[in-house]
Amino acid sequence: MAVLFILFAGLAIGCAISMVVQRNPLYSAISLIGVFISLACLYVTLAAPFIAAVQVIVYAGAIMVLVVFVIMLLNVEEEERGPLRLRSLIPIAVMLAAVLFAEAVFIIFFVQANPRTPALTVSDIGMTSSIGGGLFTTYLLPFEITSILLLMAIVGAITLARTGGLLSPRAAVVPGAQVFSKEMLDREKYIDDLTPVTTQSTREAEHLLGIENKDQSSKT
Amino acid sequence: MVPQLSWYLALSAVLFTIGVVGVMLKRNVISMFMCIELMLNAVNLTFVAFSSFFRDLSGQLFVFIVMTVAAAEAAVGLGIIITVFRNRESLDVDDASSLRL
Repeated sequence: MAVLFILFAGLAIGCAISMVVQRNPLYSAISLIGVFISLACLYVTLAAPFIAAVQVIVYAGAIMVLVVFVIMLLNVEEEERGPLRLRSLIPIAVMLAAVLFAEAVFIIFFVQANPRTPALTVSDIGMTSSIGGGLFTTYLLPFEITSILLLMAIVGAITLARTGGLLSPRAAVVPGAQVFSKEMLDREKYIDDLTPVTTQSTREAEHLLGIENKDQSSKT
Repeated sequence: MVPQLSWYLALSAVLFTIGVVGVMLKRNVISMFMCIELMLNAVNLTFVAFSSFFRDLSGQLFVFIVMTVAAAEAAVGLGIIITVFRNRESLDVDDASSLRL
């Protein structure tokens, strides 16, 4: 058991440090998946197989796929090595770290260890049926509130990702790519000018096409 | 030698601290977002460790709810990130210092 703990804890800490150190967001996403999977293995050693499975499916599966999808969609480049933020706070940080380290040393050497042993005997604590029973009896109200939270998240995500209202309705725009106005796309109605316009930003595209958004400029 | 409860708590504290350091040092919004996910996972590890050592089911149910909150946060947070990127053409948090889109 101790060997497993040390193996997966080391893996988790190594992947976490690698995640913070990496400059490319895609590499840190992959390191984060490593952290999630080693934490799932630790959950198995803690006799919580259901939570381990959900950890792999929801975190390493769904959430990280979403994050990687957004990283690739936005075409994120590596961070440049700029000057460190918060440089003036370094002495305070060193002092606080020293205090924390002293506290840890005090606890390790002067506080008696808790002799409690883990639940290695057969118990149904981590099993799916007991978790389902707990969710639908004692914790029914938090469970229902969770469903309302998910509904709010769905509505919020759709509202945020909607494209309408930000640009003029006459423009079809992909940021950083080619920009057409509807007149150019609708070839049957407007046959005079069919050359696509390449721009670097949406604002430039608006300026080029002469469709500066009156609503947006009055709002901001 | 059997792992003690304090080992899991120490691991959780280390992971949480790495997450906090990442949020402070990173400039990219998506990297900061992933560090927040790491912090949530460190807290989840504490819950599961306590639940297993004290033989109480509640900890694992809390983990379930924390995961739901994390999933909702991922959906809405990434939506906000995409909207901010569309308006500012940048993912640097220093470029997005004012709250309006």
